[in-house]
Amino acid sequence: MKLSSSLFSVPGIRTLRANLRRPISSSPKVSLPSAIKLKTPIFLRPLQFSASLSDLKKWHKWAKGMALSVGSTFVDLDNGPDSTLLFRELNWFMEDSIEDHSLISQLGVQNNPENVRLRASLDELYTLWKQRIEERRPFQYIVGCEHWRDLVLSVQEGVLIPRPETEFIVDLVEDALSSNGELAEGLWADLGTGSGAIAIGIGRILGASGRVIATDLSPVAVAVASFNVQRYGLQGMIEVREGSWFEPLKDVEGKLAGIVSNPPYIPSDDISGLQAEVGRHEPRLALDGGISGMNDLLHIINGAASKLKPKGFFAFETNGQKQCKFLKDYMESSYPGIFCNFNIVSDFAGVERFVTGFRQ
Amino acid sequence: MSTTTPFLIKSIHLLHKISITSNNFFKASSLSISTPIPSARSSSAITWSRQNLVLHIGGGGGGGGGMLYCSNYSSSAGEVRAADYLKLSDQELMRQCEMDTFKASGPGGQHRNKRESAVRIKHLPTGVIAQAVEDRSQHMNRASALARLRTQLALKVRNKVDLDSYSPPLELLRILPPASTIRGSECGPQIGPKNPKFVLGMQALLDLIFSVEGSVSEAAKLLGLSTGALSRLILSDDSLRMAVNELRASKGMKPLK
Repeated sequence: MKLSSSLFSVPGIRTLRANLRRPISSSPKVSLPSAIKLKTPIFLRPLQFSASLSDLKKWHKWAKGMALSVGSTFVDLDNGPDSTLLFRELNWFMEDSIEDHSLISQLGVQNNPENVRLRASLDELYTLWKQRIEERRPFQYIVGCEHWRDLVLSVQEGVLIPRPETEFIVDLVEDALSSNGELAEGLWADLGTGSGAIAIGIGRILGASGRVIATDLSPVAVAVASFNVQRYGLQGMIEVREGSWFEPLKDVEGKLAGIVSNPPYIPSDDISGLQAEVGRHEPRLALDGGISGMNDLLHIINGAASKLKPKGFFAFETNGQKQCKFLKDYMESSYPGIFCNFNIVSDFAGVERFVTGFRQ
Repeated sequence: MSTTTPFLIKSIHLLHKISITSNNFFKASSLSISTPIPSARSSSAITWSRQNLVLHIGGGGGGGGGMLYCSNYSSSAGEVRAADYLKLSDQELMRQCEMDTFKASGPGGQHRNKRESAVRIKHLPTGVIAQAVEDRSQHMNRASALARLRTQLALKVRNKVDLDSYSPPLELLRILPPASTIRGSECGPQIGPKNPKFVLGMQALLDLIFSVEGSVSEAAKLLGLSTGALSRLILSDDSLRMAVNELRASKGMKPLK
């Protein structure tokens, strides 16, 4: 398999331009190389700004006041974050932006005349926190990253923020690998990869000849996922391809050792009631699964029947118990003798979240 | 090896009547599996949700849910040395635990963007609990909670020590300062409190100090150290100092400072 080369420059510059090149082996459609503006997460930016400790403390006091004023308003409105959660986010925000964020908590007995070094200007810190509170812009888009398993993944508008529930898919794959070691050396697909989270999580547990193809319809997701793959040095193992679900996978019919996906699964009618951080800011493309929420899951299952090789593994994330049960029943009745060893697995909150199983 | 029954110091009361045989352990854990998961009705309420971490082990076995459990963990028939818990790998230790996580109301998953990724781990054989909330991912909270559980196990689970034939285990020798007359060069450089292996030595040290009923000078003699040198070692770690001082207070002795 030929892996597409990545054309990213060194991270650290404020914005990165990525020329997206479609790998030769993928879909016949040829798109012109597009330029996606990648935002560098705050924690990766150089310490090129500074502020006096007193100005920074003024900002911190203001930001805490903003968070405090929220109280339980957002919780009551749409089950959004409360002040406690926003305080925690504020601490993480400082962790990412300030060279030595412990300075802030040291209530200045001795007046430190020195400036504190920052990865974003003080003005930007004000603007960003205002967006967090007033526009409900997700914290992860504010700092440009999300901590997921032991990874720190770059995210930005246009890419779904990987959820803590989804972390578990990697554990499920790990279990599958321990039950059948051959899978670790095979070819895997992460469909609708978004930030590349699952693909990278899996890439790190596969064997030396294991490979992952991560697909996404969104050019922004492809750019962000490629950036993340590169940052973890997995460009030799994970190939990111642009296209819908299996469309960029025509060359691997019946060859996949495993398929994993966290496709959009929210029923269309539920989209308008979502928490503002999600509904107003995250890409609908990554959330809306049609009337039943299962349009994409069903499409993926239908494809998996022919793409998986015998004994291949699958794990799909769903909206919960109802979808899990429906999908398992569907696979059993529509593909008798094709799939086997089904499991419905709960997430850490006790919601039946994943359907897993094997190709016969 | 006959006097090695693990027991819990008095302030830790959970489950301490369960002797650790595979059979009893099975009962205890089945109980936890059948505990219904509490669900939050009000939109602001947060409750804990429980799940046993071994549920997915041996995946692909069909019949989802919680019943895959016990057969994966049944090898520990008879009495277990408490110190042995700390020698288990993370995965093995997790198999003896149940994990509680914040369960928020609503469907979760893609619906939700809230970093309430607190993890609470309960070690079933001993009832010792540890938790973590401050990390930014579920995975890291789990790792932090597990590291804390190891510390808690070292602090709270005691092995009896036979003082007449006492010889300190290697884990303990490793945390002793080079001044110790019984510490051979094979122990390598002294392991400090920041090293994850410190908890193993700490547990053995507490076993000894409990056996000599809190007397630092007695313990120091057995370790080839001056009383002052052992005091300094105890004071070098907050949790160790607190455990020793709690014991000394219960015996009417002055705290180490």
